[in-house]
Amino acid sequence: MTLTQRELVSNDRSKFDFKDQIVYLTQTKRGLTRDTVEEISRIKGEPEWMRQFRLRAYEHWLKRPMPTWTEGLDRIDYDKIVYYRKPSDREEKSWDDVPEQIKQTFERLGIPEAERQFLAGVGAQYDSEVVYHSVKEELTKLGVVFMGTDQALHEYPEIFQKHFGTVIPPEDNKFSALNSAVWSGGSFVYVPKGVEVPLPLQAYFRINGENTGQFERTLIVVDEGAKVHYIEGCTAPIYATDSLHAAVVEVVALPGSKVRYTTIQNWSNDVYNLVTKRAHAYENATVEWIDANTGSRKTVKYPSIYLRGRGATADIISVAVAGAGQHQDTGAKAVHLAPDTRSRIVSKSVSKDGGRATYRGQLKVAPGATGVVASVRCDALMLDDVSRSDTYPYIDIQEDDTTMSHEATVGRVSQDQIFYLMSRGLTENEATNLIVQGFLEVFTKELPMEYAIEFNRLVKMEMEGALG
Amino acid sequence: MIRAPLDIPFAAEANLRQISSELAEPGWLLEDRLEALRLYGELPPEANQLFTTYLDLRPVRFADVQPYTVTGDAAEVSADLPAGASAFLHVREDRVVGRALSEQARESGVVVDTFANLLRDGGDRQTADLLALAMLKHGPTLPENDKFAQLTRSMASVGVFVHVPAAVTLPGPIVVRWSVGQPGRALISRTLVSLEKRAHASILEEQVESTPADGLQSLWTGTMEVRLSEGATLDVAAQEDFGPKTVSFVNRQATLERDSTLRWALATVGGAFVKSRIDNILAGRGSSVNQVEIGFGGGNQVFDLTSYTRHVAEDTTGDLLSKGVFLDRARGYLKGLIEIEKTARGTDSFLGEFAMLLAKRARSVAIPSLEIDQPDVRRASHSSSVGPIDESQIFYLMSRGLPRDLARKFIVLGFLEPVVARIPLTDAQDRLRELLDRKWPSAESAQAA
Repeated sequence: MTLTQRELVSNDRSKFDFKDQIVYLTQTKRGLTRDTVEEISRIKGEPEWMRQFRLRAYEHWLKRPMPTWTEGLDRIDYDKIVYYRKPSDREEKSWDDVPEQIKQTFERLGIPEAERQFLAGVGAQYDSEVVYHSVKEELTKLGVVFMGTDQALHEYPEIFQKHFGTVIPPEDNKFSALNSAVWSGGSFVYVPKGVEVPLPLQAYFRINGENTGQFERTLIVVDEGAKVHYIEGCTAPIYATDSLHAAVVEVVALPGSKVRYTTIQNWSNDVYNLVTKRAHAYENATVEWIDANTGSRKTVKYPSIYLRGRGATADIISVAVAGAGQHQDTGAKAVHLAPDTRSRIVSKSVSKDGGRATYRGQLKVAPGATGVVASVRCDALMLDDVSRSDTYPYIDIQEDDTTMSHEATVGRVSQDQIFYLMSRGLTENEATNLIVQGFLEVFTKELPMEYAIEFNRLVKMEMEGALG
Repeated sequence: MIRAPLDIPFAAEANLRQISSELAEPGWLLEDRLEALRLYGELPPEANQLFTTYLDLRPVRFADVQPYTVTGDAAEVSADLPAGASAFLHVREDRVVGRALSEQARESGVVVDTFANLLRDGGDRQTADLLALAMLKHGPTLPENDKFAQLTRSMASVGVFVHVPAAVTLPGPIVVRWSVGQPGRALISRTLVSLEKRAHASILEEQVESTPADGLQSLWTGTMEVRLSEGATLDVAAQEDFGPKTVSFVNRQATLERDSTLRWALATVGGAFVKSRIDNILAGRGSSVNQVEIGFGGGNQVFDLTSYTRHVAEDTTGDLLSKGVFLDRARGYLKGLIEIEKTARGTDSFLGEFAMLLAKRARSVAIPSLEIDQPDVRRASHSSSVGPIDESQIFYLMSRGLPRDLARKFIVLGFLEPVVARIPLTDAQDRLRELLDRKWPSAESAQAA
């Protein structure tokens, strides 16, 4: 489907703004029932197919046992969660309710005043429109669609229905089923054939109350030969009032396209962050996941790339920092389904103060995928002996001409390096900090500059134990 | 992964009691069996969730086989010692057919015998006590989360006890040979090995075919439950070359005390299906384990080679290497887990899993895992690779005048040589080379196909 400029310009958003139409409910009842799902779909005025999709997902959620291969998922009280809130209701809290610690963090990270309130989840008043307006015009000229997922369902039904749920079906896992049943918010991106989006699309600028949801759903479709870089998250901790975040991100990279998806995840430390992220890369397409996790109580996330067309390339950089009380169960998956495909996975983790960093990854070469070249590299740094580091790679090769290598090391900061840096006048803390930053550089150097600076600042604060 | 329905009809308390009573076992051994049967009943086929999706029991037909209840001495037991060996025990199906000790071994108090002989009335009290001690004193000698280890522990029809007293050094290996393959029969066995302080010994375990294969499967399950006291060293070499209808499950667990050293060299070549699990527990300061393992599979063979290494004490070393070569439609699963516990400062641990796929339909899965609670390590790393034969190596050998096929074969045999070189007896070493060599033609048939 091709979008004409006229169509884009003529978007009358108010026409689809359901918020004004809701009179009967502000939020669903606690817990998840078939009625809750029906209600969400009704409130949103969705087409029948989406209602059916949600219900099918809900049935699967009921049937699917709770995963036990990672700990603690059974500690979430699923009956206490409110699965849908009308956006405006999220904004009732005031700045005074935000914990002092979070406020201090903003201060130290140098987050502008205007953004702080928004990031703290206490107001949708963050005025990004000024910045965003010029961006939007430029995108419109190119025919790029960048909007909320709910909105896209109504405005671009054809392309939406063609791809939605095809990369990650509800039945994929327990939490993709949950997300599919109750999803709300997230981003929709469509880049037309041959279009190169000249600047990164940042969810940060588009986001509003609706989109910081617990069950966001992102769909990115990049047409043939097109190119885009999408960035989500930010370095500032996102202060959530709910303890569960279960997102689904689907990326469709059509032949010859190039997609980079960058995430900096820094949920506050009471959040369970359970995310399914997957891309389909067709012929000669390139998909890159650049994924960092520093926040949350527990993150379970393995950005995946299915290489479905000849000559496709996958590149995944996964970074995790696990501090006190945190478990980062992260990693990456590359599934080679077509000949002459390549993948590279680089994982770096830091664990400290009793935190646990787990790398879990899969590299699979299916029959028929000849001439595959793949590499996996996992490095873990442990800063003390109360922390823990695990590495669980799965390497399943079913073609004889595959070339695959996997390396992993775990260690602590070398005393020699610390000593050297201290002899050059750094304090021990500064020295450690510098070494950790160097260790994570493979990630940082892939970020746009302002993000890189903020990320380094964030790491420094984590190192000083300044973040709760 | 598809799992065979785990119907193991013979694993029942009545059968267990019958075995124990026919062997006239003491009460503690019966209790040990009952405890094992209880664990067996509670356990899933794979208790470690890391590996549950990669347990492939499709080739196994437990319902085909009927286990022997009692394995006793044959009417005639050979007393010939293989050249260069210090001791010999040969179990063929349900009979002990060979038993010999070198003079030096006998004089220094080395024991290599079956539980039944050691525990029978009128036997040597002292040796019986040593066996009871080896099995009970230091806690579990087999992994308590392994269903198949507990199956073996509960239903074994024969046990072999190897004991080397303090400060004894045996010049030649202790050879233990298992011959099985009777269609429809199962030999379930345990082997306990204890080396006292500063004892030095080596064991060569041979798993061979007794009769040509027929319609029904045959089954062998075995263990090697090792305890090394302070300063002891043990070399274990094993070569498995069962017939094409034999399924085998083997559990090897070793507990290493202070400054002891264990070296494993294991070759898996034959059989329809082999599931091998090794547990190394580095419990004493300065203890060290070195393990090299090869699997060479062809046809429809399935090899599941798993190893666990737990670093508990300070300054321990683990050096583990698994290599697989797979032809035809063979499948190989190389699974490993290194655990470095909080107490294990100064650990040096390496796990390598390398596979060569030589046919289009062969499959290799490698899962080299690490769980680390103590960062103060000398080394903690793993490495893995899968690839075809390096073309530049082939080119080099061809430039030296070798035909292509021979060049390929030399490279594969070179890949597997680290284990072959560690087999203690020249005869046995030659036999393994021959076995590996014989695997080769099937590769060519796959190439032609």
